[in-house]
Amino acid sequence: MRYLKEVLDSRELLANLTLREIRGQYKRTIFGQLWSLANPLASMLVYTIVFRFILRVSPPAGDPSGLDIFAVWLLCGLLPWTFFATVVTQGMGSVIANAGLVQKVYFPRIVLPLSKVGSVGYNWLFEMGVLVVVLVLCGAFVWPWLLLTVVAMFLLALFAGGLALMLAVANVHFRDTQYFVSIVLQIWMYLTPIIYPISLVEDQSVAYGGLFGTSITLLDIYRLNPLERFVAVFRQLLYDNRWPDPTDLLLCAIWALGAFVIGIAVFRRNEKKLAEAL
Amino acid sequence: MSEIAVRVDHVSKKFRLYHERNQSLKSAIMRGRRSVHEDFWALKDVNFEVPTGSTFGLIGSNGSGKSTLLKCLAKIYYPEKGSISYNGKIAALLEVGSGFHPELSGRENIFLNGSILGMTKKEVTRKFDEIVDFSGVEQFIDQPVKNYSSGMYVRLGFSIAINVNPDILVVDEVLAVGDAEFQEKCSQKFVDFKKDGKTVILVSHAMAAVREMCDHAAWLSHGELVAVGEAEPTIQAYLNSLNQGEGL
Repeated sequence: MRYLKEVLDSRELLANLTLREIRGQYKRTIFGQLWSLANPLASMLVYTIVFRFILRVSPPAGDPSGLDIFAVWLLCGLLPWTFFATVVTQGMGSVIANAGLVQKVYFPRIVLPLSKVGSVGYNWLFEMGVLVVVLVLCGAFVWPWLLLTVVAMFLLALFAGGLALMLAVANVHFRDTQYFVSIVLQIWMYLTPIIYPISLVEDQSVAYGGLFGTSITLLDIYRLNPLERFVAVFRQLLYDNRWPDPTDLLLCAIWALGAFVIGIAVFRRNEKKLAEAL
Repeated sequence: MSEIAVRVDHVSKKFRLYHERNQSLKSAIMRGRRSVHEDFWALKDVNFEVPTGSTFGLIGSNGSGKSTLLKCLAKIYYPEKGSISYNGKIAALLEVGSGFHPELSGRENIFLNGSILGMTKKEVTRKFDEIVDFSGVEQFIDQPVKNYSSGMYVRLGFSIAINVNPDILVVDEVLAVGDAEFQEKCSQKFVDFKKDGKTVILVSHAMAAVREMCDHAAWLSHGELVAVGEAEPTIQAYLNSLNQGEGL
């Protein structure tokens, strides 16, 4: 409890560090915040060409929204994923990047990874705002679902933050972590139905049936991936415009809270040793 | 003078000297998590008290553990044994301008650095003019700090830190910043500090400065406390030991 109070007391510092990241990020660029859109747009273009036009992937149309635009469908999953991957990568490196500060000033170190959640989250909010405008222009009726979308965004931020906290500690002790994680994230992205619909996995799963004589299917294992649930929830809300599957939403919440609580516990236990281990 | 500002209670601090360190996952797994190291005690059972309102100097040769002790006092390192208790709010000044973002303006950096040092936004706002005035960079306060001269940079950093206004201030050898005029201002600030009944703990190699400012001192050698007490006899004892060393 005392730890939580200390973290709460340093919320102003957290806000200031987040602002530092946000303000410093696009300083001296002509396009400023617009650069935040450049990456998702480039990926969208590449994936749409490769997966839609060459490989002929066709996701189901939005139900009941009736949307059937691959690029928009893709973005509904890609933007959350990009946020997640960026928070994990940057949060993991945040303690090392601020080594000078950690070794010279006392402050709750936990604000370093958390400020990354804030600054990357700020960009994400901007991107999602643009996505909502695009969705509206395409004829989706997203307004009733925006509040729940924000809740889902918050849950994903907790999940990413929790992982970032654990990995930040691991990275201080073993610099291998950052290289390892960048590979894991690459694999993880393709194991999540972001650029292809989950129906393709279902087809394969049915074809194989129960694995090793059990009733566990390929799909069951595939769906253990927490990001699969998150992407599903975001698509249900934004692309389909309907209530998210309660199981999906509940699992998102469990994953998020679990990761965050463990992340804080791990970080707290190791926080005092960070300055020496750097 | 019976009140105690800081109590250093049998503090020992250990560092590991790694011969083969498991800094990569591979070596950790290959060697079964065991790394080869020996313990080095940078501080051995250091025990003293700093009276409230005193200016307390830590003296000793290089590698005597002064900086380690200072970092323990600043809560950057945590002692393996013993404890340090404080009576009041503590601020440490081990490096000035740490946490400055080069692309941000002086103004933005004052708020950022202030909150890193534990000030609230209200406090910074209240002291903003004083900080800017003390640093003498009014003219450039809205310029990015990367364009500052090194002198301006340190002066701004120092002004923020000195305005944290703690009950106990822990200072590394950062007094030697800026030009003569700025140093004069700094010493004046320390005198004011003392007048307000605040405690200052500082590390310095400049014996003249220690003599001038401190009324109490502790002498460390190889991680052990040799002497502690009134400044003059402690400094003299330390200097004598140095001269003897040269004589041998």
